[in-house]
Amino acid sequence: MKEFLGKTKIKILLSVLLVLLMLSVFTRNVENNIVSSAVNGLGYGLSKVTAAATDNNARTMSYDELMSAYEELQQENNSLRARVVDYYDTKAENARLWKFYDLKKENPDYTLIPAMVLRRDVNDEFSSFTLDKGTASGISIGDPVVTDNGVVGWVAEADANTAKVVTILSPRTSIGAVDNRTSDTGVVTGKAAFADRGETVFSKLLSDHAVETGDIITTTGISGLYPKGLILGEVTEVGYDTYDTSYYAVIRPYDDIRTLSEAAVLTAFSGQGEILLSGDTDG
Amino acid sequence: MDKKNAVFRYIAYAVEMVLAFVLLSTPNLLPDIFGAKPALLLGIALSIATFEREIPAMIFGMVAGALMDFGYSNALGLFTIALTVVCFLIGWVANNLVKANPMNYLLTAAVVIGGLYMLYFGIEFYHVADRWTYFQAHLISRMIQSLLWSAVWYFVNRFVYHTLSEET
Repeated sequence: MKEFLGKTKIKILLSVLLVLLMLSVFTRNVENNIVSSAVNGLGYGLSKVTAAATDNNARTMSYDELMSAYEELQQENNSLRARVVDYYDTKAENARLWKFYDLKKENPDYTLIPAMVLRRDVNDEFSSFTLDKGTASGISIGDPVVTDNGVVGWVAEADANTAKVVTILSPRTSIGAVDNRTSDTGVVTGKAAFADRGETVFSKLLSDHAVETGDIITTTGISGLYPKGLILGEVTEVGYDTYDTSYYAVIRPYDDIRTLSEAAVLTAFSGQGEILLSGDTDG
Repeated sequence: MDKKNAVFRYIAYAVEMVLAFVLLSTPNLLPDIFGAKPALLLGIALSIATFEREIPAMIFGMVAGALMDFGYSNALGLFTIALTVVCFLIGWVANNLVKANPMNYLLTAAVVIGGLYMLYFGIEFYHVADRWTYFQAHLISRMIQSLLWSAVWYFVNRFVYHTLSEET
């Protein structure tokens, strides 16, 4: 045995085994070690050689191929960009529709056409605006214009693609209204003194009215031009008009009509359509 | 002259090993037959050990084992140490005890390949629940293919040895 182990070849074998054992422990316990890196580096080089000989790995592309790929990517990018724009439009439309979803859910007889405010009339002190939908979408003159917080106006003019809206801040507006708490009736119409504040007036109140600050004013729906129960605003003050010797209440709509960006046109509802009483539009 | 021929033989063996490593490591080049590919490096190392002396056989066995280990993980392990010892022993036996011939070689290769892979299977898969499924689906095919290829390499390296040795 001693003679066997004394042989040079056996000594070499045992030495090599010892080194291999140490390297094995080293490579197993030390990540990114030099031995692994060296062998993997050799393997990487060989893989690059085989990549040139096989079709399974990436290869360099010619100029024409690169140009073709670039044009393809460019077209795809343009298409994707257009789709992104559509996506954002759809997302905004979806958000608008969701705003009126509750209103529609509570009033299934309503037909609502959501629209965006296209522009505002700079010469109008009562914040009238133009919507981006018109008769082509089923909108007619006289249709109420609402938000999820209540009535904001009515359609005064309409063409195929746009509709001009006169707001409840305008003296041209006249809507039959009622105090939800006291059942006092009156007419909502705009006054210049209050329009700048974004407020309108609940006028023609009886002398024994019980309207107080904080009351909510809604539409009566008697004329058929507006459905019953649509919110017009909240009373902020009660006063007496010496000009026509009547009481009035100043109401503030829940939306700031002066900064509205979207609204919906109520084109149909239960009880719609009665004879216009007089003038532009009566409520 | 013998040393010069030996150098050329070693170069030839090295080229074989590089070729085998490349064939095995290139994706989708060699097909899977019954769920496995052959261990070409194993056959090369065993056939070299049959014809060369102990130290060169040990060195080529060590290199083949290292390439097999690094192909599997980034660490030296079972195949490196096992092939170092086995190839040394085969070299010693072939040069001192038993003359190399195809039958002896095939028998030796079958024992070595079977033993190595059973050892590999036992170490790597002892904790795996469905290890026998793996054994049937992959290892049996690998062992058989490796044995068949080792027979091929035996004749290739016999040619190399006889062509590039002093005896010719």
